[in-house]
Amino acid sequence: MATQSDTDQIQGFGQVSRTTGVIFRYLLMGATMFGIVTLAILLVYVANDAIQPLTADAGWYLVFFVTFVAPTTLVGAYLYRTNVDALKLGLLVVGMLAVTLMFSGGVAIVFVDIVPPLVSLSYAIGLLVPFAAVVLMTKYEDAIPFTARVAATGAIFFLSLFGIPGYYHSIPEMVQKIPVVPTEWVIITLVFGGVVAVVVGQYFARIRENTRAGVVAGVAALAATGAAAVSGMFTGVNPTALAVVAAGAFVPTAAYAGGAALTREEERIGLLLAAVVIGGSLVGAGIVDVLGFAGPQSWVDWQFLTSSHSGTAENAGLYPAIGGSILLMVTVAALSFPLGVGAAVYLEEYAPDNVFTRFIDVNISNLAGVPSVVYGLLGLGVFVTYLGQPTGTVLIGGATLALLILPIVIISSREAIRSVPQDMRQASYGMGATRWQTVKNVVLPEAFPGILTGTILALGRAIGETAPLIMIGAPNVLFNLPTELSSKVSAMPLQVYAWSSLFASEDFYTKAVPAGVVVLLAVLLAMNSVAIVLRNKFESES
Amino acid sequence: MSTDDLETDLTRKTENSPRELLTRSFFFLCAALSVVTTISIVALLVTEAAKFFTLTAPLMGVTGETASIVDFLTGTTWQIHNKEFGVLALVSATLMITIGSAIIALPLGVATAIYLSEYASKQARSVLKPALEILAGVPTVVYGFFALIYITPAIGVVLPGIGTFNILSASIVVGIMIIPMVASISEDAMSAVPDDLRQAGYGMGATKFDVSTGIVVPAALSGIFSSFILALSRAIGETMAVTVAAGAQAKFLNPLDPSSYLEGALPMTAAMVQLLTGDITGGGLAYRSLFAIGLVLFVITLIMNIISDYVAQRYREAY
Repeated sequence: MATQSDTDQIQGFGQVSRTTGVIFRYLLMGATMFGIVTLAILLVYVANDAIQPLTADAGWYLVFFVTFVAPTTLVGAYLYRTNVDALKLGLLVVGMLAVTLMFSGGVAIVFVDIVPPLVSLSYAIGLLVPFAAVVLMTKYEDAIPFTARVAATGAIFFLSLFGIPGYYHSIPEMVQKIPVVPTEWVIITLVFGGVVAVVVGQYFARIRENTRAGVVAGVAALAATGAAAVSGMFTGVNPTALAVVAAGAFVPTAAYAGGAALTREEERIGLLLAAVVIGGSLVGAGIVDVLGFAGPQSWVDWQFLTSSHSGTAENAGLYPAIGGSILLMVTVAALSFPLGVGAAVYLEEYAPDNVFTRFIDVNISNLAGVPSVVYGLLGLGVFVTYLGQPTGTVLIGGATLALLILPIVIISSREAIRSVPQDMRQASYGMGATRWQTVKNVVLPEAFPGILTGTILALGRAIGETAPLIMIGAPNVLFNLPTELSSKVSAMPLQVYAWSSLFASEDFYTKAVPAGVVVLLAVLLAMNSVAIVLRNKFESES
Repeated sequence: MSTDDLETDLTRKTENSPRELLTRSFFFLCAALSVVTTISIVALLVTEAAKFFTLTAPLMGVTGETASIVDFLTGTTWQIHNKEFGVLALVSATLMITIGSAIIALPLGVATAIYLSEYASKQARSVLKPALEILAGVPTVVYGFFALIYITPAIGVVLPGIGTFNILSASIVVGIMIIPMVASISEDAMSAVPDDLRQAGYGMGATKFDVSTGIVVPAALSGIFSSFILALSRAIGETMAVTVAAGAQAKFLNPLDPSSYLEGALPMTAAMVQLLTGDITGGGLAYRSLFAIGLVLFVITLIMNIISDYVAQRYREAY
């Protein structure tokens, strides 16, 4: 500086070189994009291997361009320019259909191959009867002392579900012994479709403020479910599965779209997008079928989704692994949700500020950092070696995964509970409510959407976990679906691992594994989008 | 905390009614389960690993084959069939994965954090943050497959000497999957730096570059450092990606020699999976070695988590 002449200083005064700043800015941007772009490229590669879009006929592309791509783009662009909210509504309906189709497909697997409808119905009744008795009991809350009510509740549930062996049958056994029962699809249509119909009916009764509209909508919903099942008998598709898919995906989506058309005049035009997407793909599929154009030779096809492992990559399928993942997720959710929320409620609402509470706090954040393979060792050592459970069952797999995600569930539930305003609690206490009443009536309902979002995200973590399942001895190859908690279980990521390391061959690398990866990622995407939609809805409401 | 006292006062009369007692005990048990989990992990790993070592096995009442604890901790050959259990062969591979993923994830993660906290518009942030979360959400077995099938051949074009299984591609995918962890924790730390400091910097005539590198990053250093340690602990415990992509043959490699990253080796976590997928008999020496590795892994990750906590607490600049 000292050597610079005065004139130089005056000329350069107040000027700063922007080069460093600009270069730095673009470097940062590049660094941010690096991981995202790399993953995107890898996903394109794997999708290309799994779906092989280039193997389709030119005519196939032409047809779908005319019937699907062009109209969708036009409608989408029009909506984007004129009415973004309508576009969002249209996308939501399309997304809802896709996600509900996927999940009701999973439920259909459960009813068709895991728990027959009659058995699930019998357990549903076995739970409903004591539940009704307990509800009845709370009506006479003052007459019966609390301890007696708790004891009675326990006794009623136990008697209903397990009976007294030798003397008295449990309700599920009695239901299953009824000599004349309707066929499976009738049960599904009446029970599953019936519940959906009641919900749909109430929804329409509320938005039209008219009971008759509700009844009409409910009956229509039930009829649609029945019609889907009956159509299955003529086309050769399993009617039970069709009834589940109709009641779980088509009816709710149609009801939501219909409700939106009735109530949201500004945005109802967005439904055009959904109509174009669904209609365009159906019309396109029809034309392609008639003209005989071959689609892409996708490895993710019906055969892949519905058959079990095979020595040849072309015939290998994911079905037992899909069923196993569903059962594992049900077990994990049933275990980790109550335990995680309970721990979060204790830490946020009850815990005194003492050493033990702080220890639990530190302990939970450390548990979140324990490698998943160590949880696998825990499952192996505690459940298999010490408790003598058989290896690789649904129950110990689910329990191990539940322990793994428990810290995540607790941490996210605590955040949701903490976000409930203190004023609401104080108002409740001011009304003379006890702690449990405040938790039950104020804190949990307010925090519920946040808790649910966190739990779904944690389940998304659990569904991709492989190492703990390997550690507890889950089999690499399974040809049948697990049917109960004590049967051996496989899972989607485990099957992908088995194909990519134990059956390692060029064939599996290019066919079965990419297809498995695509299915696994699609399920994860569906779960995460549900969580994100829930979170956005929750955030915009509060 | 006066509100808490108020609530305690308001609920004191009812707090020991049967209903309150029952619900409170249930919630307490749920919270205590996490402590039970930790105790079981520690107890299980310690007792099973104790049965593995010659020194401690008699204390556990175990007779039969054992391994020397000195050989375990200092040996560099891992061959189960020859009864050679030198954990350093596995530790060296884990260390290489950690170094490799750190080279990728730490600079990229910090740069991402600076971009998100200082440069990105609110709209860009709302898109980029979920996109980054996806990186951490992809199942690790999928990353392993990506490394094996797509990344290794791609590297092979440039470096023909690369093996089918190699540390390099495994490190790359592990690095990519821990970027979000570094980025989100570092960004939280940078967002916590008060705006006054930035304003003061601008008031002195500093550019955005000067403010970011000269003020924000130093002020957030404890958070950044703690994010590094947490992410590396995650890389050490990462299992499926390295099992699929890093190799199946235990080998002691020199982590400081770049050419050794082109070879395959067996990290600790992958060794555990391999021990179980191979046919080991319950209760044998190989089975117990599993818990010995598990103990080493658990201790390393636990120490790193504690250091990370300590750094974040102790060296936090309080504003």
